[in-house]
Amino acid sequence: MKLTVNGESVDVGDGINVTELLKVQEVKMPDMVSVELNGEILDRDKFDNTTLNDGDTLELLYFMGGGA
Amino acid sequence: MPALEGKERHSAIRDLIIAGLSEEIMSDKELHIETQFIHGGYEPEKTTGATQAPIFASTAFAYESAESIENVFAGREFGYVYSRLSNPTLTAFEARMTQLENGLASLVCASGMAAISTTVMTLAGAGDEIISGASIFGGTYSLFDRTLPRYGITTKFVEATDPEAYRQAITDKTRLIFVETIGNPRLDVPAIADIAKVAREHGVLLVVDNTTSTPYLFRPATLGADIVVHSTSKFINGSANAIGGIIVDAGSYDWSHARAERIHDYQKRAGKFAFMAAMRSQIHRDLGACLSPFNAFLMTTGVETLGVRMQQHCENAQAMAEWLSADSRVEETRYIGLESHPDYGVATRQFGGRYGALLTLRLGTRERSFTFLNGLKRAQILANLGDVKTLVIHPASTICREATKEQQIQMGVTPDLVRVSVGIEHIDDIKADFDDSLNKM
Ligand SMILES: Cc1ncc(COP(=O)(O)O)c(C=O)c1O
Repeated sequence: MKLTVNGESVDVGDGINVTELLKVQEVKMPDMVSVELNGEILDRDKFDNTTLNDGDTLELLYFMGGGA
Repeated sequence: MPALEGKERHSAIRDLIIAGLSEEIMSDKELHIETQFIHGGYEPEKTTGATQAPIFASTAFAYESAESIENVFAGREFGYVYSRLSNPTLTAFEARMTQLENGLASLVCASGMAAISTTVMTLAGAGDEIISGASIFGGTYSLFDRTLPRYGITTKFVEATDPEAYRQAITDKTRLIFVETIGNPRLDVPAIADIAKVAREHGVLLVVDNTTSTPYLFRPATLGADIVVHSTSKFINGSANAIGGIIVDAGSYDWSHARAERIHDYQKRAGKFAFMAAMRSQIHRDLGACLSPFNAFLMTTGVETLGVRMQQHCENAQAMAEWLSADSRVEETRYIGLESHPDYGVATRQFGGRYGALLTLRLGTRERSFTFLNGLKRAQILANLGDVKTLVIHPASTICREATKEQQIQMGVTPDLVRVSVGIEHIDDIKADFDDSLNKM
């Protein structure tokens, strides 16, 4: 399925959850990344059981970078 | 050497920032503390091999495109933006202190007072309460007693060494308990593990000021402190050439707890980093009490010698205390390394048989104390502690003069009290200086 991640289109396996997405995207220090799913902040506790759907738009954001 | 651009640069900066966080430095936690003082959190910089973290004397950091800086502000990429928020020289000091205090992450501030006020203002707001030991440093006492009430945050002061007193002061509005490891100038030693137990039972966060003991004597996080603060102006810096402070999150508190409601918005986004995120992206950013990169450099280099300095401070102070306590010219000598001190047992357990640099003397009257201070040749009369030099002060007329008589008693301040921060000069010279001056009284 196709997702939009930080503005770029990416192809991932069907039915993966948010934790898995952070893994396949090779996000460094996933503990320091917050996730917005279709414009809403996703509770960190829900990363594991939030299954993604084709066409979802995600923002993976470092909440404490030098710019924070 | 061409400058890094775009993604390459963002990931280089990200690696630098991540180096300041626990997971990457875990492996070094097995090292002895003396080694961590020197190597903790910093490896020679890659492009030049510089063995000290360079001073990045730059207010802001340039980007090659509007898109690139937008990505950093949005959080899609790591990047330094503006030195009130962060700066690579500050990151290097934070990384070292995170490791030294067994923490999760750290934030440096302009001073110890900035570290304490930023911590409390992040966790409490109008209508909230905090609980503090009564025998704390005068500046912190004033912050809690006079300044924070103007913003609706009130403090209940309790007997610092009595865990039950903290328990009895807890209400639904309590947001944190604040404790100093060695009360100043009362030199009382709260049992951190016992107070941590009370705090844990009620879900209250425990903040410990470790300025006077330093990580050389003791790491409060190992006994249950949730947040550790320091005035790094003292022993950490060592040579008394810069003011600074730091806040270390031990990583032990569950930020989803109802008592942390002031930062629940951040908890959702930042999880275990909620407190750090709340400070960095709001309270610290908005209050603006940031450390200068030059001062951060002085702290990072100063802390390298903390091990040998503290060893000598402790040795000299112990020798001075034993000598003075047996001297009839002195009415009372107070030092936590003397068996006569009521908290000797707690101190011994907590600090592993080392007792720090602070001692106090009672000389009978204010006049005799003044005569003694004026007669010293080498020891310096000034309002500081933790310098390599021996320092003396009369608390009642200086650092504690704003306190009422009653508060002074709680702080252990009498009109004849002299506080000594024993330095690391040769012990015979410190003794000779004191001996001469005691003879003049
Ligand atoms: C125990 C303690 N905490 C905090 C402070 C405040 O630190 P600063 O002077 O760096 O603001 C001091 C000393 O001034 C102190 O002795």
